[in-house]
Amino acid sequence: MTTARERILAQQNTPWKKGVRRLQGLMLDTILMLLVLLMIEFLALAFSGRRGPTGLLLTPEEILDLLSYPWLVTVAFVLATLWNLFYRPLGTSPGRATVRGVMPEEEFLPWTQTSRGWFTALLIQLTFFTGWLITEVQLLTFLTKFSKAADIVRGLMNPSADVLHQGLVLLVQTIFLAFMATAFAIPLAFALSFVAARNLTRGNWVARWSYTLARTVMNLTRAVEPLVWALIFISWVGIGPFAGVLALWVHSVAALTKLYSEQIESIDTGPVEAITATGASTLQVLRYGVVPQIIPPFLSFTIYRWDINVRMSTIIGFVGGGGIGYILKPRVDLGAWGEVGTLVILIAVTVWAMDIVSAKVRERIV
Amino acid sequence: MSGERGIVIDARGLSKVFPDGTQALDNVDLEVREGEFLAILGLSGSGKSTLLRCLNRLIEPTEGSVSIFGEDVTRARGKKLRKIRSDIAMIFQQFNLVRRHTVLINVLSGALGRSGLLSSALLRFSEYERKKAMGFLERVGLKGRESSRADALSGGQQQRVAIARALMQEARLVLADEPVASLDPALRHSIMRHIEDLNRKEGMTVVCTLHDIDLVRRYATRLVALRAGRKVWEGTAEQFDGDTFREIYGEDAEPASNTMI
Repeated sequence: MTTARERILAQQNTPWKKGVRRLQGLMLDTILMLLVLLMIEFLALAFSGRRGPTGLLLTPEEILDLLSYPWLVTVAFVLATLWNLFYRPLGTSPGRATVRGVMPEEEFLPWTQTSRGWFTALLIQLTFFTGWLITEVQLLTFLTKFSKAADIVRGLMNPSADVLHQGLVLLVQTIFLAFMATAFAIPLAFALSFVAARNLTRGNWVARWSYTLARTVMNLTRAVEPLVWALIFISWVGIGPFAGVLALWVHSVAALTKLYSEQIESIDTGPVEAITATGASTLQVLRYGVVPQIIPPFLSFTIYRWDINVRMSTIIGFVGGGGIGYILKPRVDLGAWGEVGTLVILIAVTVWAMDIVSAKVRERIV
Repeated sequence: MSGERGIVIDARGLSKVFPDGTQALDNVDLEVREGEFLAILGLSGSGKSTLLRCLNRLIEPTEGSVSIFGEDVTRARGKKLRKIRSDIAMIFQQFNLVRRHTVLINVLSGALGRSGLLSSALLRFSEYERKKAMGFLERVGLKGRESSRADALSGGQQQRVAIARALMQEARLVLADEPVASLDPALRHSIMRHIEDLNRKEGMTVVCTLHDIDLVRRYATRLVALRAGRKVWEGTAEQFDGDTFREIYGEDAEPASNTMI
């Protein structure tokens, strides 16, 4: 007769599940190996002195086009497969370590004594040097060519009083715009956060699917820049602060849902256990065991979000979403640096004040 | 003498394997009769807490059956399960109070199993329930602290709130999971005496995990010992001696000099 333990372990280690895990590890290794190979080729090409069709040294973009992708994918796959096959003498590969854990004898070794430690170090090094070239870092120019920007800086430091009045009026609009966006976001994010919390959605398949759905929709929403949302809502409700409110609202719902649900995931399970044990229903457990624990961090996140929304609404204004950004953009385009300076100072002071106030308030409630 | 009393807990063949493969319980039988004060002994990690939680299904047993007051706990769902749970009060090592609520709300939350959804959502309880809760607070010596926040209280006071919560629940069975392990030694007897009162005065059956042999001998009427998830010993406090001690805790364990006579 088999014991309960053997049956559970057998369920977890069906040949199918084992195979899937093996494949996951191999895929991860292939991707990491491919990254290393690509970056090595990139750096080799960059330092080879080869010249492009224009006769100049290759630009990073041109090098990216030249890399031998199909060939390197094959090599990476072969190397990863070898590493996965001969992991005993070679040391556990990073992919295998992530998906299936390391060999016991490697468990407590420092990174300098494992092959995957050196591999990771190499990966990080390569990423830094490749990044240096791809983002065209030019330290010398940065350190020596300040004079070109001096005009702008001088303008900013001599703010003009011409836009002060209009600026202040629009600043008030900005703060309220951010506030309304946050306020509209709270109820929706609150409701969604329970569905998007892993620890509350293990019960049945409906709960698990709602979790996946909520998370996916929220991540997609968050991935779209508020600027794009602003353009959508401007053509929906017309130019003005309301379009800005809607744009920040959508983004805030997604961001707050994520923050809220992470907070729910990290609650103390003790009270939940205690309330469940009294025979309370699911809703009562949420009301007594979960909600009291999450209210203070929720408040704190919400105030923080308002703070962020004030900053973001400046950019929203650039495209016509109301707020102070609306009059900032034309002045930047015209090079009216004195007036830009006034507006920048107004924004900076507000953001700074909000930051201090929100930090103080958050300190009090947590 | 307990022979003719009714059976409160009848657990058969309980096993629990956690998803990581840890076997916390291995084929444990447990029978508890009305009015008993049963202590469950064992090293930490021996499965004591898991056993308690399998009884009211805070943890789902992998195998085996539990019936409490004649009701099949393992098969109960929804309302039925909540009804069974409302008859079983639970006391925890970490008190598990809702820290940001007042002491009174924490006591009242013991009555959630029998209160309506809407009124409990608004934290409203009847005047009758409130009076009762105040009475229980007075009984555990916390009169006047009802509107303090729970986390403003000391550990011993918090555990007394938890005992008042158990009283409020009007349960017939109490499961206590290391109720004094995170308290100052000087306070242990005070808490244990309150639990003893639940047993003697309220007639509640008590199942209590403990690791302090002194307390076990002083309060328990019967003992069950677990080792690595198996029941290794069962008997009365008088039958418990040095040999049994080593059997439960392993050859290396040494009973503290003042605990064994």
